Amino acid sequence: MEYVIRTENLEKIYISKGKGLFRRKKREVHALKGIDFQVKKGEIFGLLGPNGAGKTTLIKILTTLLLPTSGRARVNGYDVIKEERKVRASIGCMLMGERGLYWKLTGRENLEYFGALYYVPKKRRRERIEYLIELLDLGDFIDRTVETYSSGQKMIVSFAKALINDAPTLFLDEPTIAMDVHAARKLREIVKDLNKQGKTIIYTTHLMHEADELCDRIAIIDKGEIKAIGTPAELKASIRQEGIVRIEGIIPQKALEALRSMGSVEKLAVEEKGGKEHLRIITANSRSALPEIIRVLVENESTLEYISPEEPTLEDVFVKLTGRTLSEDTREINEPEPDKSR
Amino acid sequence: MSLSRINPVNSLLLTLHVTKVRFRILSRYKGWFAFDFIFPIVFAALPILIGVSVAGGPGNAARAFKTNTGTSNYVIYLLIGSIVMMTVETSMWLVGYWLRWEREVGTIESIYLTPARRIQILTGVSLYSGMRSIFTFVGSYTFGCLLFGINPFQGEMLIAMLFLIAGLMPMWGIGFLYGAFILKVREAGSLINILGWGMAFLMGAYYPITVFPVTIQYLALAFPPTWMTNGIRSSLLHLSYFLGAWHWDLGVLVLYSIVMPLIGIWVFTAVEHRIKRNEGVGKF
Ligand SMILES: Nc1ncnc2c1ncn2[C@@H]1O[C@H](COP(=O)(O)OP(=O)(O)O)[C@@H](O)[C@H]1O
Ligand SMILES: [Mg+2]
Repeated sequence: MEYVIRTENLEKIYISKGKGLFRRKKREVHALKGIDFQVKKGEIFGLLGPNGAGKTTLIKILTTLLLPTSGRARVNGYDVIKEERKVRASIGCMLMGERGLYWKLTGRENLEYFGALYYVPKKRRRERIEYLIELLDLGDFIDRTVETYSSGQKMIVSFAKALINDAPTLFLDEPTIAMDVHAARKLREIVKDLNKQGKTIIYTTHLMHEADELCDRIAIIDKGEIKAIGTPAELKASIRQEGIVRIEGIIPQKALEALRSMGSVEKLAVEEKGGKEHLRIITANSRSALPEIIRVLVENESTLEYISPEEPTLEDVFVKLTGRTLSEDTREINEPEPDKSR
Repeated sequence: MSLSRINPVNSLLLTLHVTKVRFRILSRYKGWFAFDFIFPIVFAALPILIGVSVAGGPGNAARAFKTNTGTSNYVIYLLIGSIVMMTVETSMWLVGYWLRWEREVGTIESIYLTPARRIQILTGVSLYSGMRSIFTFVGSYTFGCLLFGINPFQGEMLIAMLFLIAGLMPMWGIGFLYGAFILKVREAGSLINILGWGMAFLMGAYYPITVFPVTIQYLALAFPPTWMTNGIRSSLLHLSYFLGAWHWDLGVLVLYSIVMPLIGIWVFTAVEHRIKRNEGVGKF
């Protein structure tokens, strides 16, 4: 088996100091806690986890932007610590979304510039840019300066930038995050096409439907650890015996507590949306547990609007593994808003 | 296999492309022209006018100036000092500010994702900064001379040019140090300003450094720009060199030209490595 990526016990600890010139108290964030996984040649490999899970940190180590605190990794056969330039020349990356382009240059000038920084010979570069303009439908705006772009347009040009050196391996860190539904769907189609042409793709997301639709295999990552790895079908099959119950309504705290103390409730995740609670309950057996769940809810003054047993999704796998939903933010330090001044 | 072909030709083209792109971006900001040409002249005009009024007329000013500096040509003396000061400041800023700007715009990680050698990029940026500095110098010198009605063609212009070029090289070294500092300490602005003013004070833009007490004179001599100012001025106005002859003074600058960039790049690389060990070059 040919592996494009293999990691051994990757750890990353961020040490951040207080603001200002002089050091104040130090803070440690243990962002990765021993990551071991392999990506096979030709697959779309998903990293699925909530905000703060450590996806970006992992991608940054694999793309040589960061050094791990300990552990090792190889990408395309090269060591990410000792052979960083070989790693870089062999991959394409889209990491900071719409950032990372020069606003005063046109899209085409940006692609030319990055092509040069990837040592792509001039003639090949020109051809490649023409090809990408065609492929990604950039013709309408590629010769305008980036400052005039919408965020979706910036995203797609950033995506083109990741393809400029036609690398066999692509790292895409939440590439659809600033796109509307339509543009995101189109990008996923292109990712699938690129994969059919033989590219190996590492794709991070916190959206379970994206991972489910796109990925051949998925690693579920939470708080710096890989909780499970497998094909979407395998992951879902791992909770097939159990039953999922989805409930919407106005559900008071004491009802939630009562549910949690029920023997047949394995995991319970709550999300608040528009003044209502959305519950996903993993039970040992939904058919036998359902009547009791309804009884407990009603006895505790809940107003039920929707209740139904459901097929398990990747979200449920995540809930089962962590007791939380994917949309919950688990970051320990919040990134400031990107500066949009130029 | 990707399309990347890492070889000497593509490396050279990469460096030149970086230079080209810096100029292209510069050309899309309005007002840079004023900054490069007008500022040095304004900064020269201030002391010239103050000097004239304090001394009580141009004639008195010239006579008083001669006893202190050895030349009565105070206009050109101050003009050169001011232009060198501005050139030094911009050549130092260009590398450091460039990095800060890349960080703020968010392109620094994009650059670090490419296999481009940092030294090749920095050379491209330095080439841009050097060309811009020389352009600024020649432009504002000529323009300033026209404005103040003096003949720009005087003294040993070739030697002055050598001092200019040899004086810029160490500034890049200092620029890299500044760049390293910016990578490490995010809010480096005010400290750098203090450093900049200190250097402007010490390099003797408006006066010979012999007006300082001896200890401060030695401190001033530790700064390459002091040698650059004095060298250019001495060659154009036939004043005395620090070490008696132009080739000795130039030799000192050449030494700085080798040592400072080496120190700068070494520190830069070390800081860069430490940052990669910790939080990375991006903004956080
Ligand atoms: N430069 C940094 N300094 C300190 N902590 C960081 C830094 N970058 C990320 N973190 C923290 O590390 C954890 C993982 O973050 P990240 O890798 O960005 O996760 P994800 O991409 O999955 O949202 C979070 O708790 C985050 O706050
Ligand atoms: Mg992230």
